[in-house]
Formats: sequence, C-alpha cells, structure tokens
Amino acid sequence: MKKDNRFEIRIAGFGGQGVVTIGKVLGSAFTIYEGLNSVNTRSYGPESRGGACRSEVVVSQGEIHYPSVRKADVLVALSQTALDKYMKDLKEDGILLVDPNSVKDVPKGFVYFKVPAMEIAHSVGNVKFQNSVVLGALAAILESMIKKESLKLAVSENVPPNTIEKNIEAFEAGWARIVTAKLAVAE
Amino acid sequence: MLKHPMLEYIKEEGSSGMRLPHILCPGCGAGQVLNYTLHAVDDLIKEEGVKKENFVFISGVGCSSRLTSHYLDFDSGWTIHGRSLAIATGALLANPELKIIVFTGDGDAAAIGGNHFIHAFRRNINVTVLCVNNGLYGMTGGQVAPTTLPFVNTPTTPYGNIEDAFDLCKLAEVAGASYISRWITAQPMQIIKAVKKGIANKGASFIEVLSQCPVHEHETPVDSMNALKEITVPVKKAESSDKIPVGELHFAPRPSWTERYESVIEKANQRLS
Amino acid sequence: MDETVLGEKKYRGEFIKPGRHYLEGSEACVEGALLAGMKVYAGYPITPASEIMEHASRRLPQFGGRFIQMEDEISAACTLIGASWAGAKAMTATSSPGFSLMQEAISFSIMTETPLVIVDVQRPGPGQGYITTSQEDVMQARYGHHGEGPIIALAPSSVQDMFELTIEAFNLSEKWRTPVLIMAEETVAHMREQLIVPELDTIEIIGRKKPQGLGITPENYLPYGHELVPPMANFGEGYNINHVSLAHHADGNVGNYSLKAHRENIERLHQKIEGSVNEIARVESQFLGDCDHVLICYGSVARTGLEAVKEVRELHGIKMGFIRLVTLWPFPEEILRNLISTVKTVFVPEMNLGMMKHPIAEALRDKCDQVISIPEIGALHNPEKLVDKVLEVSTC
Repeated sequence: MKKDNRFEIRIAGFGGQGVVTIGKVLGSAFTIYEGLNSVNTRSYGPESRGGACRSEVVVSQGEIHYPSVRKADVLVALSQTALDKYMKDLKEDGILLVDPNSVKDVPKGFVYFKVPAMEIAHSVGNVKFQNSVVLGALAAILESMIKKESLKLAVSENVPPNTIEKNIEAFEAGWARIVTAKLAVAE
Repeated sequence: MLKHPMLEYIKEEGSSGMRLPHILCPGCGAGQVLNYTLHAVDDLIKEEGVKKENFVFISGVGCSSRLTSHYLDFDSGWTIHGRSLAIATGALLANPELKIIVFTGDGDAAAIGGNHFIHAFRRNINVTVLCVNNGLYGMTGGQVAPTTLPFVNTPTTPYGNIEDAFDLCKLAEVAGASYISRWITAQPMQIIKAVKKGIANKGASFIEVLSQCPVHEHETPVDSMNALKEITVPVKKAESSDKIPVGELHFAPRPSWTERYESVIEKANQRLS
Repeated sequence: MDETVLGEKKYRGEFIKPGRHYLEGSEACVEGALLAGMKVYAGYPITPASEIMEHASRRLPQFGGRFIQMEDEISAACTLIGASWAGAKAMTATSSPGFSLMQEAISFSIMTETPLVIVDVQRPGPGQGYITTSQEDVMQARYGHHGEGPIIALAPSSVQDMFELTIEAFNLSEKWRTPVLIMAEETVAHMREQLIVPELDTIEIIGRKKPQGLGITPENYLPYGHELVPPMANFGEGYNINHVSLAHHADGNVGNYSLKAHRENIERLHQKIEGSVNEIARVESQFLGDCDHVLICYGSVARTGLEAVKEVRELHGIKMGFIRLVTLWPFPEEILRNLISTVKTVFVPEMNLGMMKHPIAEALRDKCDQVISIPEIGALHNPEKLVDKVLEVSTC
C-alpha cells in the first residue's frame, strides 16, 4: 500500500461499539508513531448508545485537504446497517473487515476479513474491549502501512490505565485471528 | 455652602463637563441607599484601613442601578439588566480580593435577574447586594414587578395585579445567601451597619431596602416612608404579626465560591506531581 | 507572558510542549488559549461545544486559573466581562443557540470595549436544528448584536488553526480592546489531526495597553480616550474606571448628551475596527497568478475548497484560483479587491444558503461576471459537489 497518496479508512457501526475510539487510535498511531499526516472525523446521532456511528481516518504523507472519505480503501463494518450503507463507497479493490456475528450479508464475490470482535472481547473479559480487537485485526491487515507496535502504543495511551493489560490482550487476539484465518469468500 | 460629606466619593465633573446632578427624583429612596452605602465604605476605608481601590460597584438597569452610573469615584460597571451578579462572579474569578457591592432593584434582581440571583447565592459568591425594592419598575413608568402586592393598579395592571409577590429575603435564603437583612429607607444607621457586615461576610450578603417611589405611588415622600413604617415590624416581634419583618433575618457564614475553588486548584496541581 | 492578578503562587500546569501532537480541535483551542494567557473560563454545556469547556475545566486550575460552569449562556458571557474588567483574559465556547443568547453581552462588550473571546462551534438552525456542522451564524457574528458595533470574527479551518487562531483572537481582543469571535464549526471542533507547536518563545502574546504604561495618572485617566484604542485600567488598580454602555464621552460621562458626542463615540468604535481592517484582517490565497475563476471560502469548507480547486486545475485544466478568508469580520474588502484583477466567475461554497456571498459579491462587483453561491446545509461539501458545479458553469 502506498503511503504517499491519500489512504482512507472508514469504521461504522452503532454507538457504544468503540467506533470513535478505533478511529482516534488509528489516527494517533499514524500521526505520532508513523510520522504521517492524518485527519480523524466522526459522526453520530444524539443517542449515547445504539445510534448509527461512523469514524473516518484519512492518512497521507502530504497535506490533507478534504478531511473525509471520498472512496474508502478500508471499510470496517460492525453492523449490517453500516455495511449496507457504506459498501458502495468502498473501492472495488478495497479492504472490508466485518464482525461476522453482526454482519451476515456481504455482497457476493467480495473478498473480505472477519473478526468476531464482540465474541473475542467477551472471552477476554468485557465486550467493551471489542475496539481493541478490531484494532489488532487492522494491525494485521495494514501491516505494510503501520507497525504493530505503533498501534499497540496508541491503544495503551487511549484506554483507562487500569484496563491497558486487558485491552492489549484483546488487541493480540484480534491480530491472531487475522493472521491465522483464511480470507473468506462469500458464497 | 455646606458640602455633603459623601461627595468625596462622587465625580462631580470631568473633562466633558458636569456629571451631576443625578437623575433620581425628589424623595427617591435609592439616593438614600447610596448615601448609606458610601458612609459604610467610608468607615471601612478610614477606620478599618480597607483599601479604596479594592471596592468595585456593579449595577444593572433601573433607577437603583443608576447609583453606579458614571459618577462614582470607584471602579464601577453599569451593566446589563439583571446580569450584575454574573458580571460580579467574573470579576471575583479574576481577583477574589475585590470587595464588590451590587446595586439592584426588585425587577433587575428578581425578574430578569432571577436566575443569576439564585445561583450567585447558591454559590455564595463574595458579594454584597443592595436591593432597592420599590415594588415596581420605576425607570420605565411604574409597571408591575414580581414584588408588587396583589390588587395594585399599575400601567400594566390597569385592572389590578392578580399575581402574588416574592419575598426576596426568603428567596435569597432558600437559594443560599449567607447574610440576609431587610430594612426600610428610614433606617440609616442600621443600613450602614448592615452594609459593613455584608462586606465583612466572606460570602453572599443580601440587603433588601424597602423604598418609597413617590412619583409612581402618587404620594409625598414622607407619606410614602411612613407607609413603609406601617407595613413593617422589627424581626423580633415578627412572629405575632402579619407585617413584613425587618432586621437581620439570616446569618450562616460558610466558605465562598472562590475559597472553595482553592481546593480545586490544589487538587489539580497535586495530580500533576 | 503578561502579568496575572492571581498572585505569585507556583502552579504545576505546563503549556503544551513544542513539537508534533495529535489533538481534537476543541483541545487545540484550549491549549492555544492557555498559552495566550487565559485565566478565566465560564461556560455552559451545549453540543457540540462542550468538549472545549470540559478540557478547560481540567486544565485551567493547573495554572491557578479559575473555571466555572454558569447557569446559562447569558451569564457565561457576562462572567467573561467581569473577569476582563478585573484584568483576566477570559473565554467561553458555545454553539449556535447559545450564541444567540450571548448577543446582548456581545453588544455591551463592544460598547464598553471589553476584551474577551467567544468561540461559536456552529451547528445548523433555526431552533434546535441539528448537532452536526454549519456556517449559519456568520452573519449573526457581525449583525446579531443590537446596534451599530463592529466586531472581529475569525474562521478556523484545521486543528492547527484552532490552536493558532485562538492565540490570535486573544491578541486581537487585547490589542483592539474588543470582543473577538472564533466562528468554528462542529467539523473543525471534533476533527483530530496533527498540531505542530512551535518553540514557545516564538509565539507573540499581546496584553492590553494600560494607562500606567503611558504615564497617565488616575486623575487624568479617560477610560474611553487618549488613543484610538483607549488604554484600559483594571479593577483594583486605583484608576476608578467607570464602565458604561450608554453613549458616552471619553471620560465615561453619560451626562451632557449631545448628538455630536454620541456620533463621535460610535464613529470612533467603527474607526477602531472597520477603519483598521487592513491591519486586522487576514486572507490566504493560492493559484491567483493567471486564474480565470476563483473559489472563495472559509472555515472547514476551505478543506473541500482546496481539494476541489486542485482537482479542477489538474484533472480538468481549469485555471481556478483559491482564496480563504481567515478573518470574516471586519470584512477584508480592500484586501480581496487587491488580490483579484478580473475573473469570470467567483464561486462561494458555504455551509448555509449564501451569507458571506453578499459582501464578497459587493466587493468584487466590477471584477467578475458573476458570483455563484454553492450552498450546503448540515454537512461539509464533498469535493464532487464543488467540482461538478465548476464544470457545469465553466462549460456553458
């Protein structure tokens, strides 16, 4: 993946899934640890939980003008609604990552990654850690763009200090899931 | 000709000419309140060594708010209708050592200023409020106010007032003012003492002064002041009477807002070490 | 840094360090304010501006400053006035409905020439509108307060701007003895991106001119006199300053009313700000060398604007120039006119139905064939919208 052009990541789901945190941590990792420019924006409904939620990260070596996704290189869909809404904005050769427990219907023939974030987080100890699971998965998927260590550092700086250990555990579990899984092909 | 002793604290003229005379009507109670307040301040400066430059006068809009106006020889602000207490709060946040005196009226304090009235007292900000209560909106023609008694005719209640009146001192007490007293304009020595006590109180002091408004009451000042005497009773005898109690009504000092914020500053700095 | 009235105590708060940071616009705004010397913040919660207030509540006491959450936006703005009079640099942040509530206090600050900073994180209206982004208050910034009173309003386009323009806002408010507005939007307040903080000693911080500094004694002090921007005494310094907002003479007297004196009062206020527009206002531009058309924008729309301008130039060969208004008010009419010789079309994209379009159109009336507004309500324009409009107009 080229780092000098714009690279656009969109994460979408429901409020409470950590969508905003995922974007924040990604942006932080790119900007502070990889020395790139990044812009992270978010949008959501007024509800604290349950409303639609979207976070975007645009990365570039150069100056970033338009701060939002035009055609995403990566789409992380944590709900079916999110996938249905944002699939059309994903590049044809873009990367799709879903939580298969929430997202069942993926367009035919599209190659994508799966990480059951909520399930893994639950097994680590709390569904709240699902954003770290997703980040671990992204670390594996975007390995050529961003060092695993950068993301791990960014995670530990953006979670409550007494939860760092568990969040890193969740991160590693998400990483492991991608590294060992095969790409799924929709029937 | 004899000069009024409090003229020491008035700017009679400046580079643009005379600032006096003031606009208050003959027999107005607000002027009495200014006189008593300046006497109290004068005592504090001359007998207790309080620095003159620490006094600040803030007022809003209305006849009583005209007391700061442009002729006090002190730092002052003649501000927005009802918002003096918010402005005073800001001045204290910048400099908690200021001795702030607020002149307000019943409409300025309890109608448009009602929200800031209750919160400034809830916070117990270190301010002394002189509320000249004439039971109406004097400056604009005598309209009904939250302190107008029922059945009274005013330009906006030509068929008689159907509303009940606030008891401003009770309101101040429930809100949290730490020193509260009520007087009538014909009690100079008591008001001077009350202002000194209010300033000494490191918290919110509310001093209500029931005042005549001869012009809108269509009475002579003397008759009007006598009427005030008739509807009031000293607080010690208040229980066995229907009349309005005057005197010291409440004194329960507690730390002011800025005193308590010191603990916030301390905590914020401790967490950094 | 200038003096504070808060005494000599040692505080452990540290300014943001020079170097590269990754911050939300709201945070960058507060960090800039702290560097500028802010010592009082008074606020009221409102989406999407509450983050600025929350950040201030955590940071200010670290510096011995004082934070208060007031009972409404009216009193929040009024608290700034009292704080400023007592010598402190003071700021609040609100959103559009709260901005409406603050207009009387703003009018009063203009007339009393009180330095303070108000951030409006704009959201759509009217009424509750929505909690997303907008530029619908830009006319209110200039004309929302009653009376003929000029004001300074800045439009940040990035997190870097939220930091730098906040410092600039404080400097302008102190230098010109005026309230200053930062017309942000939800987009730029919630956006997270890199912030480069320079060496702190390279940042200019301006404090108000004082009568003491000019050798003026309390007896000779004129609160609204001496210079075009009158020196300002603080409460507690023995200058017996009377702040009044009725039309007044230079010495603060509201008596001896005359139309002449009233008009002089107002004319000086206007001369002070509008008359100094070329010194106060800033405009940025690119590609103006030989452009056929120009795109003029402000705030976050400048992000889309520059993307679109580069695209039409590189992919469609259209000679489009780009202008960003950093200062909305006083309106930089002469600066704009000097930047442009003649163009065919001026495009003005705004997150409203066309507001700054009007002073722009008037300023460039004889320098272009037409001014085309590109409105958008409730969201930031995407580049396609601007590019499509440019292609549509320039091919007919």
